[in-house]
Amino acid sequence: MLGALTRARDWRPFKIVDLDLSSGVAAVSGLEGYAGVFALVWAGGAPLGHVRVPVRGANCSERRIRSAIRVQLEHPLATAALRDRLRTGIRSGQEQAAGPENRAEAGTETPALPSATVAICTRDRPEALDRCLGYIERLRYPVLDVVVVDNAPPDDTVRRLVQEKYPNFRYLCEPQPGLGWARNTALAHSSSEIVAFTDDDCAPDPSWIEALGQAFTEDEQTMAITGLVTPFELETPAQILFERSGGFGRGFDHQSWRLGTTTGRRGAMHLGAGRFGTGANMAFRRSVFSSIGDFDVALGAGTPTEGGEDLDMFFRVLEKGYTLVYEPRAVVRHVHRRDLDGLRRQLEGHGVGLYAYFVRSALMFPNRRRQFLRLALRWFWTRNIRRLLRSFAGSRSFPRDLVWAELKGSLRGCTAYPRARRATSRRNGDLAGRPGVVA
Amino acid sequence: MKQAGAVAVRLVDVSRPVTAIDDVREYERVRIYAQREGRMLGFTEVRNHGAALSARRVRQALVDALGVRLILDDPTTKSADALIDSLLEELIGEDHDSAGSSDVKLDPGVSVSIVIATFDRPDDLRNMLVWIREQRTERPVEIVLVDNHPSSGITPAVVAQFPHVVLIQEPRQGLAYARNAGILASTGDIIVMTDDDVRPPQDWLETLIAPLARNDVGAVTGNVLPLELETSAQRIFEIYGGLGRGFERREVDLRWFNKCKWVVPTWILGASANAAFRSSLFRNPTIGLMHEALGPGMPSGVGEDTYLFYRILKAGYTMVYDPNAYVWHRHRTDMEALRAQLYGYSKGHIAYHLTTLLEDRDLRALAYLTLRLPYGQSRRIVKRLKRKSAYPLKLSMVEIGGYLAGPGALWKSRRRVAREGRSIQLSSSTEEGVE
Repeated sequence: MLGALTRARDWRPFKIVDLDLSSGVAAVSGLEGYAGVFALVWAGGAPLGHVRVPVRGANCSERRIRSAIRVQLEHPLATAALRDRLRTGIRSGQEQAAGPENRAEAGTETPALPSATVAICTRDRPEALDRCLGYIERLRYPVLDVVVVDNAPPDDTVRRLVQEKYPNFRYLCEPQPGLGWARNTALAHSSSEIVAFTDDDCAPDPSWIEALGQAFTEDEQTMAITGLVTPFELETPAQILFERSGGFGRGFDHQSWRLGTTTGRRGAMHLGAGRFGTGANMAFRRSVFSSIGDFDVALGAGTPTEGGEDLDMFFRVLEKGYTLVYEPRAVVRHVHRRDLDGLRRQLEGHGVGLYAYFVRSALMFPNRRRQFLRLALRWFWTRNIRRLLRSFAGSRSFPRDLVWAELKGSLRGCTAYPRARRATSRRNGDLAGRPGVVA
Repeated sequence: MKQAGAVAVRLVDVSRPVTAIDDVREYERVRIYAQREGRMLGFTEVRNHGAALSARRVRQALVDALGVRLILDDPTTKSADALIDSLLEELIGEDHDSAGSSDVKLDPGVSVSIVIATFDRPDDLRNMLVWIREQRTERPVEIVLVDNHPSSGITPAVVAQFPHVVLIQEPRQGLAYARNAGILASTGDIIVMTDDDVRPPQDWLETLIAPLARNDVGAVTGNVLPLELETSAQRIFEIYGGLGRGFERREVDLRWFNKCKWVVPTWILGASANAAFRSSLFRNPTIGLMHEALGPGMPSGVGEDTYLFYRILKAGYTMVYDPNAYVWHRHRTDMEALRAQLYGYSKGHIAYHLTTLLEDRDLRALAYLTLRLPYGQSRRIVKRLKRKSAYPLKLSMVEIGGYLAGPGALWKSRRRVAREGRSIQLSSSTEEGVE
């Protein structure tokens, strides 16, 4: 999506800004060296979409931004306005007069929000964590419990950081390396109704947890919620490339998924769990874990599988027949890897994690085995092989070494899960009683 | 437990705050019809998978499906683009205002006769008469009920509970015979036709007849929505096209009639299950009564209403299709009845075109029957084979069978009418020979 602009301007960065239409559109200045403005547009507390405005010179005028919003977000804007009107009801003639007051009224009637725990699992990235916790401090929520899980720490830097700079946050240490372990530790030490996860390289919006809480109260059958992940900055080619490769964003439409319960044949749409979201922005009703089990400790960063514990959880929530919701109002900004090496490792890790998740699910859910095999092959063809072939033709394609890295990762992922499994069971002797896996 | 695949049907009034729909936990899908201040806006279907639909999902689904139609006040005067502009302006800052529309009101002294034909369906009929009684109207209303099977003696027992109903007997079987008997017996300035298996909302009658305030409008038709989608037969009937004719208001006249290249598709206007006519039309020699060789109860199946519309348009009157004048209809619940119905529709389709050819020398029918119809049918089958449509192939075959049987059926019907005689309007005859 950023392709054309980036090419024309030879890798100049994009300035990320927030534009809240409720408080008016203003010009953006101080844009020396930027190729354009990449704005997240909000209206009435909900993000509507991204707008790209190319800049000339160091300024981006109000008029320019307005017309860009108009052209690029016409449909989301109209949709949002209509949905807003349905909230109060559409009456011809008097709607203009009655609109704003009613809207404000509808906004204030908030039911009690559930108690919430925010869990940040971190490993060896104290600076990133510091920034993240700075944003966590600004979260608006009535009663919020924040836990920082320090995964396999080499020293006590993170402990000191949390205890000295953020005394209100709880510090937990999980010596077993692996994100699954860390997430389970957070669960074991939470007594709230909902548990929300974000990563140490993220910066949640102040309204993040509130949006999640409201979405949980809206429908008591919702057991898991994922949210919008939008770039924190687009300063380097690697960061722009990551957005181009798909990024983490899953759109601006509220969605909800649930498997059919009354028909005999159950769908298989939830197998490709990546489309539901990512572990950087997800929340669960804590009660769900007693019926579907905790995170699989053999999945996740820090183990040979390098990821996939989030996808596995989304799949299991849906497979059990619960509702999973995508709530774009819950916004987390993610700091993409700045250097190409980091990006390459990350994309490779995504490949590993995804295929480890496929293998894990095929092993644990024999009735889904064929569907997983089919999906894995199809994904391998479209995401890995076809993109690789395309990279030989045409200059608009994605850099070949990155496609190649992901392909290698996918292949490695096929054997990663059994390896991770063996590694965990070797250590299992001294781990009795710890939160483990329930298939 | 509901039958697998059952779809809940709900009506949402968007002029009031749109809230959650909770009572659909037994269903996998929900069809939501949207209405605003008596206007039918359209519908959308949502998968709820056995869960309640939150207010947000209902709103989102309605907006996604209907868009600016939700606020569009008068589709003929205000463009959707202008509305989007004003919405954007509102969000980005500036203000905008819209003006209301004005209508000519129908005089309250105008009287109405509601003609209902029935054929041994006492339960449906009783419900229908109750719905009619509950219509909100101030004007004189007469209910003319035509019993098309008097020898069974079922209908008079029902009518006994409704003292103001005029009961007419028409032993000659056929819906056109029955409706004509009703028309001849009625005294109102407006004749409203409907069936015994529908359920009109309380403001139906007034909405339906309102366009007749204009002098050029000869007849008004309304929408027919599914009351329920519980069985697969009912759902397939909706895929076939149902009885609904969409949510856009339509106006057609002689110009349209002449402009139609292939045939005059009067079926897009609806059916006599929900229609209002100026009673003078039936005394007009160029229109006359309903053509009795067409319609249910005859071998030809259907077509009496579409052919009547054809004549009305040809006589120079404007016809209005008003989606806000809707009734709910309970579709046939079993596949056998559905098959028979579609077979009948197909026969009637052919019979209608052949009638325009025979009675009105309309050569467009010839081209349609030999070229257009076979082409359209084969396209539909190809679509099914490519799995782009859920319409069963078997039913396509039933339809084709119906098309092939159409000419024979019309022949048989016409012979029967010749045997049993035509109804004669008092003031003038319904002889053909109109140019």
